[in-house]
Amino acid sequence: MNLQEYISSGIIESYCLGIASPEEAATFEEMCRLYPELAAARNEFELQLENHAFEQSATPDPAIRESLLAAIAEESVPATPVVTMAATKPVKKFSWLAAASVIALIAVSALAVTFYQKNKKLEKSTVALQAQLDSTRLQMEELARQQSMISNPNTAVVSLVSTETTAKPAANVYWDSTSTDVYLVVRNLPELPTEKQYQLWALINKQPVDLGLFDAGNRIILKMKNTQKADAFAITIEKRGNTGGPKGTLSASGKML
Amino acid sequence: MKQEITYSESELIEKLILREQEAFTYLYDHYAPALTGIIQQIIPDTETAADVLQQVFLNIWRKIGSYDAGKGRLFTWMLNIARNAAIDMVRSKSWRENQQNQPIPEDVYNLGKPVFQPDPDDTGLRKMVSQLKDDYNTLVELSYFQGYTHEELSKMLNIPLGTVKTRIRSALIQLRKILDKR
Repeated sequence: MNLQEYISSGIIESYCLGIASPEEAATFEEMCRLYPELAAARNEFELQLENHAFEQSATPDPAIRESLLAAIAEESVPATPVVTMAATKPVKKFSWLAAASVIALIAVSALAVTFYQKNKKLEKSTVALQAQLDSTRLQMEELARQQSMISNPNTAVVSLVSTETTAKPAANVYWDSTSTDVYLVVRNLPELPTEKQYQLWALINKQPVDLGLFDAGNRIILKMKNTQKADAFAITIEKRGNTGGPKGTLSASGKML
Repeated sequence: MKQEITYSESELIEKLILREQEAFTYLYDHYAPALTGIIQQIIPDTETAADVLQQVFLNIWRKIGSYDAGKGRLFTWMLNIARNAAIDMVRSKSWRENQQNQPIPEDVYNLGKPVFQPDPDDTGLRKMVSQLKDDYNTLVELSYFQGYTHEELSKMLNIPLGTVKTRIRSALIQLRKILDKR
């Protein structure tokens, strides 16, 4: 499935309406991070959904507004009672009692504030833990995807060797002959200045066919454009957003066995 | 004259995180009618829907720190909070006990039929869903309006999990077409 097919597969709608499965949702979120085009298509549907919901507005019960605002105001100011209580005039005759109750109140309020702060801290660390868990899960899925593709008997692996150093492969291309999917694993490609990008090509009858631009970042695996066949693969250094054929220098290449 | 304040989405979120009550008032005034519409599509009873709306806004206020703009728009996030709260209400014991005049359907496919007949001028989501062909209508009705998971649908309707996924997606492609035409 290429990006365009994925965009129109109904996943955007099912994600936004909250009926995608947790696995579908996690994959979709990761794909949105990788492909701005997908995030833009999601945004388009979200706006459509939002406009439709605004057209379908219903008048809420006016009593709710007041009670909500009161509830919010209460939640927002946890510590003020301390000040008001301490400022009340002590009853002369039983001033020791008043003093004791003020002390008790202060103690209780201080305790309340401490608990409130502790609770806030806990909330924060829960959010942080959840975020960590989510990102770990995404990495796991990414690894699983990579694993299943590599172990697929229909997948051919091509090592692209750097034109400069022959010691380590620069990148590996995994090409699934049944789905025609192409994945790229960057092994050893130097970072480029921001105005440059790497570009992967399939060589078919000595003609280069564009398989997509990429940066030598820390992505575990990159999904490139599909190709029906290829005699060899090559990576060149091009201007960012290059269109048309290869114009830059060859960085790595490898033949299909 | 009431002073009109408008916030951009990111400004609004920032102010909500800083616990600014004016921002919450704005959020409520701006979004409560649309969210009421969403809730009433699931719970036609206006009194119960009002209770749900109140809970939804409290949840939004409390959970705003976990909203992630990278995953979608603020409204989409709130829509899902509202939808989940409405479904929780429909599935709660107290609600079901109040619905005793509703006969329990014997055929699971009837579960997918809307519990109320929308009026012909209604162009709400539920009306659009009812325009889908039968098995698509059933799947969207059960998943979006009644909150069944893919696994539950697979068991209830006795169709493979993968088929549930692909049919839901196909149904939504059709739904999108109806929405696009409007």
